[in-house]
Amino acid sequence: MSAFLGPLDRDGRIPAQQQTRVASFLMSAHGAQARQLAAALPGRLRYGWQVELHSQYSRELEILSLLTRATSWVVDPRLVFLAWQWEAAWLPKPVAGTADGMQGLLIDLAAFGHALHSVIRPAALLPEGVAAADPFVLAMRRIEFESGRLLQAQIVFLKGPQLAAVRDVVAAAVERRHAQVRELWTSMLRGIDVGTE
Amino acid sequence: MATLTCGPRQIRYQLDGPADGPAYVLVNGLTQYIKVWESFRDALVAKGYRVATFDLLGQGESDKPSLFIEQDDQVAVLRDIVAELGQRPVFLAGISFGGVIALRYAIAHGDTIAGLVPMSAFAELTPQLFLLGNAMRTGLILGGTNYLQDLLFPMNLSDAYLSERLDKLENAKRKAWLINDLYALQNLMESFLDFAPLTAQLSSIRVPTMILNGEFDFLTPRKLHESLRAHIPDSALVIIPRVYHAFAIEKPVLAADLLARFATDVLAGRWQGKGRVWIAPEEAGGEIIPFPVGYDHLRALPLSPPMPGAAKDREAPPS
Repeated sequence: MSAFLGPLDRDGRIPAQQQTRVASFLMSAHGAQARQLAAALPGRLRYGWQVELHSQYSRELEILSLLTRATSWVVDPRLVFLAWQWEAAWLPKPVAGTADGMQGLLIDLAAFGHALHSVIRPAALLPEGVAAADPFVLAMRRIEFESGRLLQAQIVFLKGPQLAAVRDVVAAAVERRHAQVRELWTSMLRGIDVGTE
Repeated sequence: MATLTCGPRQIRYQLDGPADGPAYVLVNGLTQYIKVWESFRDALVAKGYRVATFDLLGQGESDKPSLFIEQDDQVAVLRDIVAELGQRPVFLAGISFGGVIALRYAIAHGDTIAGLVPMSAFAELTPQLFLLGNAMRTGLILGGTNYLQDLLFPMNLSDAYLSERLDKLENAKRKAWLINDLYALQNLMESFLDFAPLTAQLSSIRVPTMILNGEFDFLTPRKLHESLRAHIPDSALVIIPRVYHAFAIEKPVLAADLLARFATDVLAGRWQGKGRVWIAPEEAGGEIIPFPVGYDHLRALPLSPPMPGAAKDREAPPS
């Protein structure tokens, strides 16, 4: 099992079946994040931090739009089962041991965002020799690059002084989401003959 | 490569060299991983040392805590690595970030090592280093791991080294980019956010210590190494000519030779640090010479060290 996507076709492109599976996973996860951000965003912004939230929401929509258009889609019957499994995993799970339910929910939302933007590295799956200007390849690079920036809002929140009193709870919540996202990501990749570990 | 369980964490490590005899433990710099030590390690092994290399928490193939990595956690990992080497003289060498971890280790567990080699290291964050560190963190955040590497390569390696390898840099960057995760590197950098200077604790380091500093290192310049020399009782400062911060990558055979000579002297009871300042040879096996008397080793210009009252006695420059 290779650590990279492929084998490439003679034009250096990723096989459409792999593109479809990877893009579906990313759309499921980033779509869930976008929905959660949309629910947290008020119609009218009243605080400075809500501007960052809106920026995150917009970037997630950009990722979804990009994947829709840059992927060479093919029919993949297994997605019917896999999508249910992924969507169930992304459902909010308020963290216990916090000041109140809302704080627990926000921590989980941020923990999921942290895992999504740090564990998943789609550009690291691209083999050497891949067609550099191919839209799917560029999309993978862009998503990974943007993830590094999107991650910062979660880091600022999760490491911020307002959560210092529940630091261990926060750390455990982030570790849980990391493990969950990693397991689903690696499992999906194994299904298309890519081994990341 | 093997895996060591340290509390809840898994650490990837590698042991090379003879099963008996003295050992060196090498502690990575920030963006380093085990394989980067290859030439350095092989040179030490060739001189008869058992060598342990490992990925710190957050690096390479070791566990990467998602949110918080404390420097004390790294010291605890290092303690387990040293213990893994059993009963034998163990020397500890760390570079840059790893040099700080090695200093912390020597302060806390100095009785478990025979000698210490901080390389391109520091005990305090001067304004320059603090601001450079912040700029590198911002670079990592805004530009990713590749951008950080784009900064570090020219900052830390000489023209002589780079000019022969310009066509291979992309490959080296890709390897490091693949194995390092942005969030984990950021966590490592942020372990300095509440960094308290170690300077006051340096005097508790009682083991022989050889401090290595590249002549042109401007990331951690001479002043930072001088602080180590001034405060660690049995230490000497060795300046390596014509190299920068990452001299262990640029001159692995020379650096390994210096480490081997240091360990040999310590084990033979010949080492006398005494706060001396030395100049290393440019190639392995060459002569280590004392820094010339009458010149200031903190200056790039060949000037005498300041004497009390010297400024007002100095002659006015010719008009």
